[in-house]
Amino acid sequence: MIAVTITASSTAPIVVRLVRENAVPAEYKAACAADGFSGACGTAVLLLGVTPGVLLAGVGDGADDLAYEWAGAVSAARLLGFAAIAIDAAGLSVAQAVAVATGAVLRATPQLQLRALVDEGAPKLTAIDIVTADAVLGPAWWVAAGTIRAVLLARDLVTEPANTLNPQTYVDRLAPLRDAGITIEVIDAARLLAMGAGALLAVGQGAASPPALVVLRWPGAGGVPVTFVGKGITFDTGGICIKPADKMWEMRADMAGSAAAVGAIYALALRRAPTAARAILALAENAVGAGSYRPSDVLKTLSGKTVEVVDTDAEGRLVLADALSFAARENPRAIIDLATLTGSMVTALGHVTAGFFSNDDGLADKLVNAGSLSGESVWRMPIDDSHRRALDSEIADLRHCVTERLAPDACQAAAFLREFVGATPWLHIDIAGVDSWDEADDLHPQGARGFGVRLLDRFIADHFDPA
Amino acid sequence: MLDVSFAAATLPASGALALLVPEGGTLAGIGALADAATGGAIARAFAAAEFSGKAGQSVTILAPGAGLSRVVAVGLGAGADISVRVCEDAGGALTPLLAKEARVMLAADQLSGAQAVAVALGATLRRYRFDRYRTTEKPEDKPKFVNLVVLTDAADAAGLWGREKALAQGVFLTRDLVSEPPNVLTPVEMATRIEALRDLGVVVTVHDEPAMRALGFGALLGVSQGSAQPPRMVVMEWHGGTPGDKPVAFIGKGVTFDTGGISIKPAAGMEDMKWDMAGAGAVVGAMAALAGRRARANVVGLVGLVENMPSGTAQRPGDVVTSASGQTIEVLNTDAEGRLVLADVIWYAQHKFAPSLMVDLATLTGAIIIGLGHEHAGLFSNDDKLSEQLLAAGLAVGEKLWRLPMNRDYDKAIKSDIADMKNIGGRAAGSITAAQFIGRFVKDCPWAHLDIAGTAWAEKDTPLAAKGATAFGVRLLDRLIADREA
Repeated sequence: MIAVTITASSTAPIVVRLVRENAVPAEYKAACAADGFSGACGTAVLLLGVTPGVLLAGVGDGADDLAYEWAGAVSAARLLGFAAIAIDAAGLSVAQAVAVATGAVLRATPQLQLRALVDEGAPKLTAIDIVTADAVLGPAWWVAAGTIRAVLLARDLVTEPANTLNPQTYVDRLAPLRDAGITIEVIDAARLLAMGAGALLAVGQGAASPPALVVLRWPGAGGVPVTFVGKGITFDTGGICIKPADKMWEMRADMAGSAAAVGAIYALALRRAPTAARAILALAENAVGAGSYRPSDVLKTLSGKTVEVVDTDAEGRLVLADALSFAARENPRAIIDLATLTGSMVTALGHVTAGFFSNDDGLADKLVNAGSLSGESVWRMPIDDSHRRALDSEIADLRHCVTERLAPDACQAAAFLREFVGATPWLHIDIAGVDSWDEADDLHPQGARGFGVRLLDRFIADHFDPA
Repeated sequence: MLDVSFAAATLPASGALALLVPEGGTLAGIGALADAATGGAIARAFAAAEFSGKAGQSVTILAPGAGLSRVVAVGLGAGADISVRVCEDAGGALTPLLAKEARVMLAADQLSGAQAVAVALGATLRRYRFDRYRTTEKPEDKPKFVNLVVLTDAADAAGLWGREKALAQGVFLTRDLVSEPPNVLTPVEMATRIEALRDLGVVVTVHDEPAMRALGFGALLGVSQGSAQPPRMVVMEWHGGTPGDKPVAFIGKGVTFDTGGISIKPAAGMEDMKWDMAGAGAVVGAMAALAGRRARANVVGLVGLVENMPSGTAQRPGDVVTSASGQTIEVLNTDAEGRLVLADVIWYAQHKFAPSLMVDLATLTGAIIIGLGHEHAGLFSNDDKLSEQLLAAGLAVGEKLWRLPMNRDYDKAIKSDIADMKNIGGRAAGSITAAQFIGRFVKDCPWAHLDIAGTAWAEKDTPLAAKGATAFGVRLLDRLIADREA
């Protein structure tokens, strides 16, 4: 991780200064006017004629901490070629200074690199000084740095390819969680068979690496835990209903829901959150093999309900079905599942906003609130009676998807999942459109974004942690 | 249309009798009298069929005695206060069970006037059948149900029915328009049918191609230029409110057939594109309903009517057209034509009428079906208050809406390299980027866009509509106005 130092002075060759709209400092007015910079959000201007050099970054009206995070990210993106930069935090509140640094680190840290050769084009930025006389910044940055580490771990899990990250090796990547006080339990395929987790087992049965359910626990200050559930398909070929070859490589990221659950519980542990939490990772590889499950197979799920398989590429909802049943048995305060579940959600909401579903209006409002405060925006979608009716099977308790061309698959998947949570307050977040981007944007490098970690951390902090 | 009349709440001596039974299955009033007169036959049938009055349950008893040819009972479900929505669906459930009876007595003596009228409305809406082109159907295969006599002593029932009857007529006008085949219902023919609204007191103005050219409608005319059928824009004005009050404007997409143009659609399912004018159809039906009930409001309806065909004169992917607003549009997919039609009509609506608010309806995107399915239509708006009003109106009449987001991030998707915007934004968030496109033609006016591609047509029977055109939007718009009149 990029080293962030809180210091009273810095020798970095570039210093970032934040500028409110139409409040450009007098000494820079001429240069800013020449470039048309007025302090608008998302804009920056680099002034190299002074020593140290200055990057002015706009924060608009500065009313929102997210504007500072945006400015920090835009600054870092412009300064990736410098080994060290400073952020002038004089005049900023603690929250604003932390936001600038958070934006900078999250934008400047590249995705996991597995190169053997030196990459001449690699970003050089490895050190950020926050220049302030304010000692209060230390504890606030400690909290933020934990969240950033959790986001970066989630991103690395998503980026790691499936030849090294599989349901067996996944748990090896979770060592930092153990160090942070999280207990880890692996329920292997033999135990899953004994339990009757027929859906998770079926999805994984074609792969050389058998499926597993991983249970992570953060005790917090005790009490009934909130439970995160993550879809962890370490690679999704589609199975017998195999996907087209074009872009199939992206399916290494089909475990981004589980990575978000890992990141979220890790973030809670790193900031010693009082709220008890549990993360359940439903891990399987959906492979094509002689032993693969087939369309028309009828599976007996952990809940006892039978499910008719329609399309083996709709495997995420099957592994989640068993994980959700398992989660609900402990009567958690709430279940929040995350999954790269449907292309339908991408068609509906695109790459900016994740869609979610809930059986609890109050919980849903809280998640929307956490989304707007964390910058990971979410939008509620409906589960209609017609969505559930579409899952009626002629021979089983339900079928798991519908194959019409224009089927509202995201909504129908949510209707399917709802069958396995009982009365537990529940949120299902479909992150298929937002987990990874082909190109860098203002706030994120190219690739995995770690979407969900900050959303859930904020959700727990604001709505579950004692005030 | 079903002929609905009202009579005193007494047990009929003959004919068919329809009962509405709350959960528990207890008979009261006329139902109890009928049970007594038939020696308990009705209660015995309930027990045998395990009918307990749950919503969705029904039972038919043939010739139970006491001169009755048939008794049909439908469950109302539980709840001390049965909503009019439940009553409508119960009425809708009665209709298919009564297809073989010409005249039916509805025992509404246990219902309020409003509830009784809601049952009649539900039965009426469900009874609609588009059979203009069935020339060889045997008479015995046609539904006979034409007369519904509502047995009620509620003094307000007959008066309330006048309003609902006008609404049903508006719904049926829309269903007729949407169901008509595209060789019959061309833009010119649809304009001609809209002119009939003059009989209701609606001021109708038809704009032909030269008129639209003079207005600078480059976007709409670009869509239409490949077709042998000339385009029309029809403006309907209903002046029922205070003179001088700004009107509410309804705008409808009316592509009478959409082949996709040069970006032609796959053959499978293309026949569905005859109902690509359902947004315009809904606006016409709503105007008829409002005029029919003499709504105390100023409302203007505008529909852009075109046919989208591939031909030597058709517009091409890559063409740049200039809209009436002056903004240029790079047409990258000729099958994203609805938004081009709406762009010009919405612009015109603002300039001509300075409306207090605008609602447009369009079968705009397949993406809305993938996003929401067939129960909710998509709602996009620049105004939270208008959104709340529409969501509430939708729930009240059973035409449900689900709001979806709009913002600057989505707007980026329609940035063009050479024009002010392009007409497609890619697969991701396809309905939202379409709404963003339309939004670029709205200036400082509360506006909502309803994407009704998933709700305008039903592949199977629904409680209030047989398979086919639903007329989604007519009742919603009527309710939106009614809530503002109150």
